[in-house]
Amino acid sequence: MLIPCFASFIIFSYIPMGGLLLAFKEFKFNQSVLESPWVGFQYFEQFFNDYKSMTLIKNTLIISTMKLFLGLPFPILLALMFNEIKNRWFKNIAQSISYLPHFMSWVIVIGLMQRMLAPDTGLLNETITFFGGNGNTFFMNEAHYFYQIMFGSHIWKTIGWDSIIYLAAIAGINQDMYEAAKIDGASKWAEVWNITLPSIRPTILIVFILSLGSILSAGFDQLYLLKMPGNAELVDILDTYVIRVGLQQGQYGYATAVGMMQGVIGLILVVVANRFARKVSGTSVW
Amino acid sequence: MLKNTKLLKMLAVPLIASLVMTGCAPKEKNSENTKQETIKDTAGKPATWIADRKIKGLIFMDADDITEEMNPEVLKQIKDKTGIDFEFNLMPAANSLDGLIAGLASGDLPDFIAFYLNHSGRKEMPIVLKAAREGMFTDLTPFIKDTKIFSKYLQDGYLPLDTKNGVMFRPEFNGAAYFMHMNVSREPGYMTRKTLGGPFIRKDIADALNVDPRTITTSEQMYELAKKIKADNFKDNNGKDISVIGPRYWGGTEVKALYSDLAINVNHTFGRDKEGKIVHESQTDYPLKRVEYVQKLLKEKLMNPEFYTMDENRATEGILNGSFAIVADMHNYLDFNKDMHYLPIGPLNEGDKPFRMGLDFKSSGGAWAIPSTTKKPEDIVKFADFLASREGKLLWQYGIEGRDYTLDAKGNPIVNKEVSEMKDKDPKAAKALGFAGVGNSWGEILGNTDVDRIDDFGEAEYGSAAQSQVDEGPLKIAEYWGWDEKRKNAEISDTYSPMAFFGEFSKENELKAALDNYNESIIRAYYAKSLDEAKKILGEASKQLHAAGLEDYLALLEKKDADPNTKVNL
Repeated sequence: MLIPCFASFIIFSYIPMGGLLLAFKEFKFNQSVLESPWVGFQYFEQFFNDYKSMTLIKNTLIISTMKLFLGLPFPILLALMFNEIKNRWFKNIAQSISYLPHFMSWVIVIGLMQRMLAPDTGLLNETITFFGGNGNTFFMNEAHYFYQIMFGSHIWKTIGWDSIIYLAAIAGINQDMYEAAKIDGASKWAEVWNITLPSIRPTILIVFILSLGSILSAGFDQLYLLKMPGNAELVDILDTYVIRVGLQQGQYGYATAVGMMQGVIGLILVVVANRFARKVSGTSVW
Repeated sequence: MLKNTKLLKMLAVPLIASLVMTGCAPKEKNSENTKQETIKDTAGKPATWIADRKIKGLIFMDADDITEEMNPEVLKQIKDKTGIDFEFNLMPAANSLDGLIAGLASGDLPDFIAFYLNHSGRKEMPIVLKAAREGMFTDLTPFIKDTKIFSKYLQDGYLPLDTKNGVMFRPEFNGAAYFMHMNVSREPGYMTRKTLGGPFIRKDIADALNVDPRTITTSEQMYELAKKIKADNFKDNNGKDISVIGPRYWGGTEVKALYSDLAINVNHTFGRDKEGKIVHESQTDYPLKRVEYVQKLLKEKLMNPEFYTMDENRATEGILNGSFAIVADMHNYLDFNKDMHYLPIGPLNEGDKPFRMGLDFKSSGGAWAIPSTTKKPEDIVKFADFLASREGKLLWQYGIEGRDYTLDAKGNPIVNKEVSEMKDKDPKAAKALGFAGVGNSWGEILGNTDVDRIDDFGEAEYGSAAQSQVDEGPLKIAEYWGWDEKRKNAEISDTYSPMAFFGEFSKENELKAALDNYNESIIRAYYAKSLDEAKKILGEASKQLHAAGLEDYLALLEKKDADPNTKVNL
């Protein structure tokens, strides 16, 4: 039974890693990766000498930190809420609706947002005008609305799907504990605080540790599509940069080096966080 | 849980194996697609016969420009005339350049590839040049000699300078040519259509305000006109308020034609200053003037706030609904405006000079290349030569004789009435007939060069011999704009794009990145909250250009422009 699993990992995860060699090689169209000449750490040096590198790292860290840390409680809260719904029919409908955005591509989501937030003609601006306000704010273009739009759309799209794992963890909690709590006169809040949350803590920690691996990947498609002249300074992240220089300028080696750096930093963070979590709470991925 | 050492071993084994597998795998030397059948006896075959084989191409262009679906009857005609089973695919990609780069990196290319390349400064050039230098393509020169049409490329004075020295016969290749540049006109200054572009205004609004749009020649006059439009509260087709100045027909982006007197050059960012020195726009006061102007338009709500960002669908929809009094950029051949309900404005002055039509010595654009893995590459050159011949062009531009057209006494095609009607009533069905006249442009890839429609077919526009009213609307707009007069006074130049020399510049990547950043920064500056913030944005972009060696590149441009063989378009 393990063979397909191993084969899939080897084919889709390990073999492509061979391409990481390009981070140290000058890519030639007519040569294989091994045949291409070595350039050492030239691309890494080039990246850190680039005037944009610090902005790129800063933007990436801000956005991914928001998604990781601020975004973490939302699916947990939703899972807790779903858990409290007693009507099975309503629960199923509510869950399905919350999962739907996960299946929509960012192109559609941002397209909808552009329409809704458009100056003058967008739904929000028309509502503002209806109530006598100034309905010509270009929300998508204003830098000071960027984080709200980015974070709001991220939560909207991911909250339902991400809540599944917590809901599954909640379903696995021994019901006797709730009954005992009820006998002891515990309120709903006390049940959640003293039983549900401690019981799903290992799941929360594992999800968090694994998420740390992508701390330098803030989400290419969403941010690429959200980029506007007014927010450009905040949107440019390592993922968009890798695509720009790697694909659009054909600098494969350089783009690989930047991508590799993202992966290595993510790996280090996962290892460190895993050790820390094991020491502090006894829960860890391995 | 596995112990750490065991886990590491388990991870390491497949990783090492994958490195070995990926790294050691040599690039494919032979493409499956290059299989060809044995050439049989050509006796009894037409003079256009090439070989009984398949030719497959991969096209790195947008689906809007090239039609992938071919008509079976047209394919049969190709087979009967040349023996070739022709097939091509469009590379699916977010944009054509991404597709080209990914396609070349894959190393698995069919018999030929085609890509955009309107001049040697275009973004595709460094990519295909790298591929050529690394032996990815076949030298076409030996095969060109034996062709009817492409052999003209070897004649002195036939090719424009950039096509000759920048794209095809680059000095570094010592006579070898790895790309076939296309769309070269037969005669200098030849123009197929009386095309004009730039800002247009809704005719009813111009009439209501009693304004002749042709008298608007400066951005200040445009501003005054915009204010008048705003004051009169015009409505669109749905009775809603209009935006005074809307984006391009094809979506929001920078449109210098709207304020061309505030730009050093409408087409790029290089030019000569008052002292005659080559400068980049960032070294002049044009950008700041433009920023002030655009900020004024935005602040006074004379310009749609999404002018630079609106997607194509919404922009086009807005224009069709009459939601913009002034459209920043469109052209006179757009179908929706055949009734002239939008009139061209100006044209506006360019920099500090009055407008003068500029024409290239010869047109050029698009290119194809043959991968070095292709067997018998001469067949592909011969096939392209057939498509570029009058007989080939007749096939891919007019379709099949009898079915789609008849020949008049002079041998020129007269388009069948049914086809013309179908084109008007059901363009999709007409396109399925499979030739350029009805919007199916497969033949342009390999065959559109040595262009002279009047000489070849006796008409400037498909179908105009049969139906003179076919381009009546566009021609009326051209007449209104004074196209013929402007053409008479046009400046014809044979020059290189200022971006054509990046390949010779040591800081190529840094400068390209800094120029891209500058273009982005200008638009950011338009949307800045104040002029001071805009100045800061532009200052940073200029600093970046300076750090990327802009001054050295300008010195290179001065050197190039001083050489009559490498004059620069400034």
